[in-house]
Amino acid sequence: MSQPWLRRVVRWARRRSPWVLHYNSGGCNGCDIEILDLLTPRYDVERLGILKEASPRHADILLCTGPVTRQSRDRLRRIYEQMPAPKWVIAIGSCACSGGVFAGGYNVEGGVDQLLPVDVYVPGCPCRPEAMIDGILTLLEQVQ
Amino acid sequence: MNLPRILELLQEVLPVARLEVQTMPIDEHSITLPPDNLHAAVRALLERSHVYHLSTITGQDVDGQIELLYHFWEGGGLTLRTSLPREQTSVETITDLIPGASFYEREIAEMLQVTFVGHPNLQRLLLPDDWTGGPPLRYEFTLPDDREEGE
Amino acid sequence: MSNRMTIPIGPQHPLLKEPLSFMITVEGERVVDSTLRLGYVHRGIERLCQTKTYVQNLHLFERVCGICSHVHTTTYCQGVEALLGLEVPPRGLHLRTLLCELERVHSHLLWLGVLGENIGFQTIFMYAWRDREIALDIMEELSGGRVTHSCNVIGGVRIDVGDAQFSSIVSQLNDLEQRVEKLLDVIQHERTLRVRTQGIGYLSPEKIRNYCVVGPVARASGVDVDLRRDCKYAAYGWLHVNVALAHEGDVWARTMVRAREAIESLRLCRQLLVGLPEGPTQVRAPRRVPPGEVVSRAEAPRGELLYYIRSDGSDKPARVKIRTPTLTSLITVHDQLEGVETADVSVVLSGIDLCIACADR
Repeated sequence: MSQPWLRRVVRWARRRSPWVLHYNSGGCNGCDIEILDLLTPRYDVERLGILKEASPRHADILLCTGPVTRQSRDRLRRIYEQMPAPKWVIAIGSCACSGGVFAGGYNVEGGVDQLLPVDVYVPGCPCRPEAMIDGILTLLEQVQ
Repeated sequence: MNLPRILELLQEVLPVARLEVQTMPIDEHSITLPPDNLHAAVRALLERSHVYHLSTITGQDVDGQIELLYHFWEGGGLTLRTSLPREQTSVETITDLIPGASFYEREIAEMLQVTFVGHPNLQRLLLPDDWTGGPPLRYEFTLPDDREEGE
Repeated sequence: MSNRMTIPIGPQHPLLKEPLSFMITVEGERVVDSTLRLGYVHRGIERLCQTKTYVQNLHLFERVCGICSHVHTTTYCQGVEALLGLEVPPRGLHLRTLLCELERVHSHLLWLGVLGENIGFQTIFMYAWRDREIALDIMEELSGGRVTHSCNVIGGVRIDVGDAQFSSIVSQLNDLEQRVEKLLDVIQHERTLRVRTQGIGYLSPEKIRNYCVVGPVARASGVDVDLRRDCKYAAYGWLHVNVALAHEGDVWARTMVRAREAIESLRLCRQLLVGLPEGPTQVRAPRRVPPGEVVSRAEAPRGELLYYIRSDGSDKPARVKIRTPTLTSLITVHDQLEGVETADVSVVLSGIDLCIACADR
């Protein structure tokens, strides 16, 4: 990809159509159903080019919720490693940012940044869909 | 739920002189039994009364003993209560009578280190595969934050 | 050489919204064995709550599960109020029950959408979740939150309904009822949905009794138990609940039971609003709870929810045990998956309405 015009096209495509992968690393499911809400007719993120992918190998952005439980830790790392570069991580919800109400539990690591490099933190318990869209768009502006 | 009938039934089956009955909120009656009589009591309830639904089995570490509560429900709540000494926590399983008790017993086995003799599959249910911290619901277990503050 | 193959489903899988690990052994196209590994969402809540006060625990128990958060705090508050000997005012009970029923509607519509998505019927997913937004709007109007409401306090509820809110909520309920009835019509007459769900995942009434299954899964096999009618907790003593029953015992029966329950819940919501008594919505609760034990039960969207609370006289609970209804359905998955074709595994897993956050705590 040596030609600058080709690089510009790829960058434009990446910014206009990020594919997301959602993983719940141990959360209560509140943020996860709000992430699924993004696909439904009221919020409809597909009009922004965001598509929810099934496999880590096709995804650009990892939307991670939940305070990372010990059992989920290795699986989360493996999912992150399976994603092709360039990749970004958005920590959605208070639990993914810092552990939330579960911080201090015996089975909880306390936030995704204990394990992976996080690019955007979107707080909330649960996080509203509007805040999630704002978080993804903030990331895309930084990507430029 | 016909409590006098159930007490009569249990009195016939169990070799105890008098059953200790307590009333708890909300609409719950609890009967204390020695651990060896538990299996026979559950069998009597299932075979000779209308009680069959086991809501759950609670385990707790109280007064130096491990107490197990078997919560049944049939129009009202019925709890069978039994205590095990800390040094020797083992009791007969009831999965041969109620297969649905299997998950509840597995959880108590890992959380309180109780052995259910005769359980077909006493593997970990909730704790992670690499857990080395000891049974979390026992009195001596401390959370990570408590360990830092308590020093 | 054996022609058996093991397929892992989860913890990250498009079928599953929450991490859970199934290992399915198939021979050709048929499932011959399955194992289940829970614990990916185990946060140790029962141990954590012993270090927090009763009021702090309200926020913890609300987050056991995001879908049925209100009924968890309802059951917990009920138990603590029984230990304290408090009587919640009727208006508070009515509002508490109103949110319980709205939550039931939102949970069943959510489930319907997830079932549709998992069998490839994306249209139902979009329609059900679009209509579910109205239920979330009503809950937001009442409490300020879409998914977790923090409405219950020990002693009642912290919200109230004024006249403007009342008329807005009633009109939204009417709109939602029309839409849900239309969805029920589609489900009953759409042949593809029937063909994909009928005969799959059959559970006999014997199995339901042996495994102590609760909720719509039990009612779909003909076992008539519903704690709203049988225990009459909260404001259900003032209401008459028509319990939805079916006898086929398969995923189709569970679909019909949940759809009819959603419509019944909307009717109950309207009845609660119209019959809302005057008065306060909460009573003041002391900080310390006298020593004692309580077993509190409620009917969550997935079945019987149980809280056992033991107090030792301080302001922190000595033991709280939570038994969630999904755990009973998970025990039956092994039996349901036997002999099923690989393509129908998604139907079976959707039919039991998984809520792993509830099961793992």
